[in-house]
Amino acid sequence: MKKSGFFNHLLEKNEIILFWVIAMELVLFQFLGRNFLTSGNVSNIFRHSAEIGLLALVMTPVILTGGIDLSVGSLMGLCAVVFGILVKVFGIDPLSAAMLTILTGAMGGGVNAALVAGLKMPPLIVTLGTFSLFRGLAEALTRGSESYSGFSEGFLALGNSDLAGIPAQVWIVVVVGMMIWLIVHRTTYGRSLRAIGYGEEGALYAGLPVRRNLSIAYIMAGAVAGLAAVILVSRLGEARANAGMGYELLAITAVVLGGVSIFGGSGHVTGTVLGWIALAILNNGLTRISDYEIFGEKISSVARELSGLLTGLLLIAALALTICMKTLAARRVAKQT
Amino acid sequence: MKRFTLSIALVLFALVSCKKTEESGKLTVGFLLKSKGNQYFVTCEKGAQAAAKELDIDLRVDGPIQADPAKQNEIVENWITDGVDVMVVACENKDSISTALRKAKQAGIKVVTYDADAQPDARMYFANQATAQGIGEKLIDSAAELTGAEGEFAIITGTLTSANLNEWIDAIKARQLEKYPNMKFVGIRPCDDQKDKAQQEATNLLSANPDLKAIVAVCSPGVPGAAEAVKQAGKKGAVKVVGLGLPSENRAYVKEGVTQAVILWSPEDLGYLAVHAGVALAKDELVEKDAKTFTAGKLGELQVVGDSIILGKPIAFDKDNIDDYDF
Repeated sequence: MKKSGFFNHLLEKNEIILFWVIAMELVLFQFLGRNFLTSGNVSNIFRHSAEIGLLALVMTPVILTGGIDLSVGSLMGLCAVVFGILVKVFGIDPLSAAMLTILTGAMGGGVNAALVAGLKMPPLIVTLGTFSLFRGLAEALTRGSESYSGFSEGFLALGNSDLAGIPAQVWIVVVVGMMIWLIVHRTTYGRSLRAIGYGEEGALYAGLPVRRNLSIAYIMAGAVAGLAAVILVSRLGEARANAGMGYELLAITAVVLGGVSIFGGSGHVTGTVLGWIALAILNNGLTRISDYEIFGEKISSVARELSGLLTGLLLIAALALTICMKTLAARRVAKQT
Repeated sequence: MKRFTLSIALVLFALVSCKKTEESGKLTVGFLLKSKGNQYFVTCEKGAQAAAKELDIDLRVDGPIQADPAKQNEIVENWITDGVDVMVVACENKDSISTALRKAKQAGIKVVTYDADAQPDARMYFANQATAQGIGEKLIDSAAELTGAEGEFAIITGTLTSANLNEWIDAIKARQLEKYPNMKFVGIRPCDDQKDKAQQEATNLLSANPDLKAIVAVCSPGVPGAAEAVKQAGKKGAVKVVGLGLPSENRAYVKEGVTQAVILWSPEDLGYLAVHAGVALAKDELVEKDAKTFTAGKLGELQVVGDSIILGKPIAFDKDNIDDYDF
């Protein structure tokens, strides 16, 4: 395949496969589902997955360094509670409270950064610890039962209204996405992340500020988790400790589905975006399947239960296909020479 | 490149071939459960299906697999874009679901809640199984009767944030302080609407409070869970188990004498009533904030208090009558 044109420049093999997956999902759900490709439902697909999109975007640099951040979902819970307390208990206006919440997220990310970059602890262990720590803190702050609601209309609009026909929070995802794309693919900092992912020692000996750059990736992840928490609270109209539960795994799934190597070093932000879209469509589409009967069982009554199963299959199939294509291509090259 | 172009073409094809909404001409009613895994809501659904058949409507049943307020909001929003006519909703969380239900109301959809209410301005009527006070008092009265109105008791609930369960718990505590001063409340544990978790929490309660005399479970998976824990701890009869639950899930324990009393209204009737109310709203037979009574098919005339349609008084099931009920 000749590499030419703008798209080919951006798209790796894996991303082409994801395009196929998304196209197949669209056709399948349009055929089987009810009101699937309507403007209202397309809005819903992105509105309901904006938070996961944000986490996936910001997880990409972390995974590029060969790290992982399991704590972002829990940090969302903590940030949601902090936001609720700031607005409802201290009476701070939502905008300032949102800023402080993002700062709280960055501080949470800072804890990860200090342990991973400063103390050289393995990211999996560190963020597994903070995964429990942040959620536990959120539950302790609310005694598990308190929640905060009754936010102003203006604030709820962030999560529930449209801007130029597109859900307001999706604009935020677009802006964050472009920023992350620029950071990862157009700066020396971004290149250093991949260098760290290929080999930390090597990067260190090449004179790269490994500690600083690693720290930035984790702090960024924390800050964006705070932002995602604010958006989730605005969408639901309620802040409580279980916000974002399980989101970290969905975000990681999107990143890996997008072809970013879990061992670090290679991957594209475009892949992450496609992986996220593929997941978002799958989850929404399954809920829209009309009543068909298979073996006397109505599909729609089991469709939601299939979402976990199909997400897993999708991930494994997409990755297996990529590897198969790579192997085939390598063989072809070997034959020619 | 060819393959890429082809995939783009496919996407475009999908986009232009937008299918038209299926119009059956029937009223479409969305029936939302708190969670699909809970037998209580499965039984509510049965009643809803019966009402749907009677009223010749298109009923769509959905709910999160496990109790999850965020998922409930998503289902409601999807129904809004689908343009359902009526939504009948059991709310996991009062405040978050209200955000979505208000949107539904603005879109001209008739909204009825059942089992657990939303904020009053977010719905038109609430199909109320029984008043919180009625339920709470019935529970603590049975516990008091069984324990001679003295000794320690603990509560197992669904989740600590569940609004209707909390109202019942408040009623239990208020009644106990007022009428049974010799009873002592020692703790409350959430079971996340799961039997295993309830069993585990009840076991913890039993070992932490060796003098415990009664466990009161206010969510339906909590009753068999607590009973299993009491049975395995060898405290059958010494620790009384009472709670809100389905006769079918508790029959074995009641007959064995582990569980002494199960209290419930008919969830099937509740689902039936809620769908009837929603359809009546859509047909303008029931008007928001106006009714004094409401006639719901086979249930006959029911009382309306404010904007709650009251199903009736709870029933107590014990060894002698539990076989008369098949839900």
